[in-house]
Amino acid sequence: MKIVVCIKQVPASNDAKIDPQTKRIIRDTVKSIMNPFDNYALEEGVRLREQFGGEVIALTMGPPAAEAILREAVALGVDSGILLSDRNFGGSDTWATSYALAKAIEKIGNVDLVICGKQAIDGDTAQVGPGIAAHLDWQQATYLMEIKRKDERVIRTKRLHENGYDICEVTLPAVVTVVKGINTPRVPTLKGRLASLTADIMLWKPEDIDANIEQLGLSGSPTRVVKTEPPAPRTSSTIKIEGTPQQCAKELVRQLRLRSIV
Amino acid sequence: MHNPLDHIKNKIYHVEILPPKQESTKLLADLDVFKEKYLRVMDSGYCACITDNAMGLMAFQGHEIIEEMNLPVHPDQIMIHLNTFHTKADLDNILRCCKNLGIESLLVITGDGSDRLPKLQPSDIDESDIEAVTSVELLRYIQRVYPDTFVLGVAFNPYEPSDHEFAKLKRKIKAGASFIITQPIIEQNTQVDRLLAEYPNIPVTVEAWMSKKLSLLSDAIGYKISEDTQFDPIATLEMLHQTYPQCGVYLSLVGFKTQYDLIKNLWI
Repeated sequence: MKIVVCIKQVPASNDAKIDPQTKRIIRDTVKSIMNPFDNYALEEGVRLREQFGGEVIALTMGPPAAEAILREAVALGVDSGILLSDRNFGGSDTWATSYALAKAIEKIGNVDLVICGKQAIDGDTAQVGPGIAAHLDWQQATYLMEIKRKDERVIRTKRLHENGYDICEVTLPAVVTVVKGINTPRVPTLKGRLASLTADIMLWKPEDIDANIEQLGLSGSPTRVVKTEPPAPRTSSTIKIEGTPQQCAKELVRQLRLRSIV
Repeated sequence: MHNPLDHIKNKIYHVEILPPKQESTKLLADLDVFKEKYLRVMDSGYCACITDNAMGLMAFQGHEIIEEMNLPVHPDQIMIHLNTFHTKADLDNILRCCKNLGIESLLVITGDGSDRLPKLQPSDIDESDIEAVTSVELLRYIQRVYPDTFVLGVAFNPYEPSDHEFAKLKRKIKAGASFIITQPIIEQNTQVDRLLAEYPNIPVTVEAWMSKKLSLLSDAIGYKISEDTQFDPIATLEMLHQTYPQCGVYLSLVGFKTQYDLIKNLWI
């Protein structure tokens, strides 16, 4: 099975600050990390390869510094990494980004499965995975909480929704997005991390993937961000729990569970 | 297998070494520093104690560094911390590697978690009547899967409510712990005194805080220590030897450049 996992470098959410004048994220001082949902996509890709053999390739688009998350992906077990980086990619919205990624996937060739995290924590659109499928004209399944191989050409998936899950069979090649609960991502080993230091990360430009420049960057992006506003500050509230110590403890646990803290 | 009591009889310090963090941007340099400290502890005849994602900060595991850097293993001179924040596969891999490397001594602790660290689940280790895995269940698992392979120790926190802590310790001992290491103490401690009275036959090692920044201990002891508090770690270490001559000593945050040579002649 040849698997491509699409990953993205994002600002660490707890570090992100918005410029009060421009209303844009101040990226210079913000630590960059791999989009947390992509960890689950990578883990799933590596697990599928461990079960069925084949190859896992991590693919990202971004500035040269995004190479760091490809090395992190290698440390986590993928076989190789490809970085799409060029001035012409800059300013791409989700449609242009998914076009570029789709062109790279075509260039890689013979890909069976593309796995993405359900969304990136900076844009929160959840559009790039489906966009890739649209550009490639492949089947897609989103919000997956389980992927199993039915046979050589079909995967059997559990697709999470508000009231439970659907079981969907998807014919390969396909693009899927995965949710947090699909697996427990592994922690990189020292051996993996050392290998990642010297791994060859391929750098591809628009001409390497036969991309039409007009479909990249601002010119290829139908979306215009007119304004970004920071969210209104969250209001805090205090709950007073009363009763016997046992009742209080039970209610406290219930409240914590309601908030997914425990 | 070695006897943990020998560390006390032979005045062998436990010296904590923090492995490089996962997010290190200078990993090779950090590995060299680790190696230098480790070899120095070996040369001194002391016991190197390697932490396991201390404070929930993701770091590399002791066994993998030893393997990767081909470091010598003397069974009575190394102790690995092992906590409950691992997948079952990782846990089994750590135990298997430790066994293969000849590492005998494990300090089994519940540990500190974080968003990125997986937590061992009760079903992973065939425990059905509990909500969360603690050091007690981890001890039981190790004893069951690797009988007579490891010398297992546990932590004792004198800053927790004492009845609760002693009840927990009783369960840990029942689960197979054969030595105890306390949280850092900086003076005579009534809970440690009680510990020594109640468990006269189990080797107890007290942890000595070797950083001058005593305020960093605030989290461990549960109350705020002012940042400008003056603290002399070497004088405190001498005091601990005098107060608890029957105990071993575990040195945390020892300064290898500034303090290591000074401790040589303190344990007389």
